Amino acid sequence: MRLIGYMFSQAFRSIWRNKLSSFLSALTTGFALFLLGTSFLVSINLGFMYQMAETQMEIQAYMNKEATYSELASAATQIREMPGVSEVKFVSKEDALEELREMFKDKASVLDSLEEDNPLPPSVRIKTVGAEEIPGVVEALKSIDVVDDVMYQEEVSKRLVQVGKAVQYLSLGGMLVVGLVSVMVIANSIRLAIDARRQEIGIMKLVGATDGFVLMPFLFEGIFLGFLGSALGTGFALGAYNWVAGKIAEFIPFMPIVGLDSRSIWDMFGIMALTGVMVGLTGSAFSVRRHLRV
Amino acid sequence: MISVRNVSKVYNGSVKALDSVSLHIEKGEFVFVVGASGAGKSTLIKMMYREETPSSGQVFVLGKDLSRIRRREVPYLRRRIGVVFQDFKLLEEKNAWENVSFALEVTGTPRREINRRVSQVLNLVGLLDRRDAFPSELSGGEQQRIAIARALVRNPDILLADEPSGNLDPKTSMEIFNLLERASLYGTTLVVATHAQDIVNKLRKRVVELRDGTLVRDERRGAYNY
Ligand SMILES: Nc1ncnc2c1ncn2[C@@H]1O[C@H](COP(=O)(O)OP(=O)(O)OP(=O)(O)O)[C@@H](O)[C@H]1O
Ligand SMILES: [Mg+2]
Repeated sequence: MRLIGYMFSQAFRSIWRNKLSSFLSALTTGFALFLLGTSFLVSINLGFMYQMAETQMEIQAYMNKEATYSELASAATQIREMPGVSEVKFVSKEDALEELREMFKDKASVLDSLEEDNPLPPSVRIKTVGAEEIPGVVEALKSIDVVDDVMYQEEVSKRLVQVGKAVQYLSLGGMLVVGLVSVMVIANSIRLAIDARRQEIGIMKLVGATDGFVLMPFLFEGIFLGFLGSALGTGFALGAYNWVAGKIAEFIPFMPIVGLDSRSIWDMFGIMALTGVMVGLTGSAFSVRRHLRV
Repeated sequence: MISVRNVSKVYNGSVKALDSVSLHIEKGEFVFVVGASGAGKSTLIKMMYREETPSSGQVFVLGKDLSRIRRREVPYLRRRIGVVFQDFKLLEEKNAWENVSFALEVTGTPRREINRRVSQVLNLVGLLDRRDAFPSELSGGEQQRIAIARALVRNPDILLADEPSGNLDPKTSMEIFNLLERASLYGTTLVVATHAQDIVNKLRKRVVELRDGTLVRDERRGAYNY
């Protein structure tokens, strides 16, 4: 217990002694972890977007206006039996008009003229089990005679997902690079710490300190720098996220953005802290091996 | 206690610092190692706390073959050996007390025991009242007494000293050697490399002389010269 206290106090004293380099290495780590956090936040939003997209991804098969009731009925049965289809809803010409009326509510009188000669085609709305099934179902629909046209909103969702993925890969790639840099910066910071205490280390060994005892404070120091970096990184990432979310809400109001609850913030901080500690440990272990000759 | 068997040491593949040196030292002995500069005194001392390992031959200390013990055993060996140097090797940013207690802290000694032992040993070297002074505030002789206190605080079986009075005037040197002699009276084995001719002649201890890396003399109650 006293030993751990000693290790910590040594580590903190050393960080204090090399304030600038310690701060810089924490900052670099913070930046690397900021990128990791960004990628985490993007992936949360991607998951959310997938969900939204999947519930919204509905195929509409517009039927021939001239089709007879029995033709429509057999087509509906056929669709219901297609693999991958989970929900089928038949919308008659009249239903379609009714929906339109509801959409326009106050201006519904404009639609009165349509009552006589309803130009809206009957349609079938289809939901699939998942997004992957959509192309197959669309193909099958097109081969049905009474189906005039098939519409689905896959394109938009696909784009969003692609953009999100690109951001994620970019930030992960950036993180890898900056992560490597932070390992080196921490290693350098620890090297300075070791140099500052060379004489002390020599005497420690002379009076019988074990290698572990000598190097442990430096490992603690590296871990602490990494942890500090993860706190900074979480701060940066949350700040940036809130800012971007605010801007998006302002300019693209229909774009779904996940509001962060405290759980996902803690999850993120957990991941970042773990990574930060690993980065710090790697950096300091590297320096200790190289410069402490133990 | 210390047994040097046919030890040779070659530095950088060419400098022969020790050449087939054999030496046996019993518990409680006080041994001076003398010889001209470059004769190999420091090298011999370093062998004894495993700062260096022999190129050939064996060094037994406290029953262990130092060329064969594992790296992680070295700290435990060193806890039973005190070492004192010409340049004291005190930490400037620690005061007298801390410089001594440091040697116990690094091995996780309980606080109460540290306090007890440090005051004891500072008393022994007569510097308990200067315990708050930093090395820069102490004279050379006082600094060396602190260094000796640090070497003795663990009550070692062996005390090694490499020119402990090298930087000190004759009177202060004598004080240092009196202190070392006192430690030997408590049963500690002492090996001291020195150029302090008068003192060696006065104390009349066992004298081992090295010349160009070879042991040329080993005399009980010897003098600095023949
Ligand atoms: N680390 C080293 N690398 C190479 N040569 C060394 C090293 N240490 C000592 N030597 C050489 O080994 C020889 C013996 O050196 P050593 O320091 O043991 O002598 P010494 O008797 O202690 O001398 P002095 O009285 O000046 O302290 C010298 O020739 C020295 O140059
Ligand atoms: Mg020497």
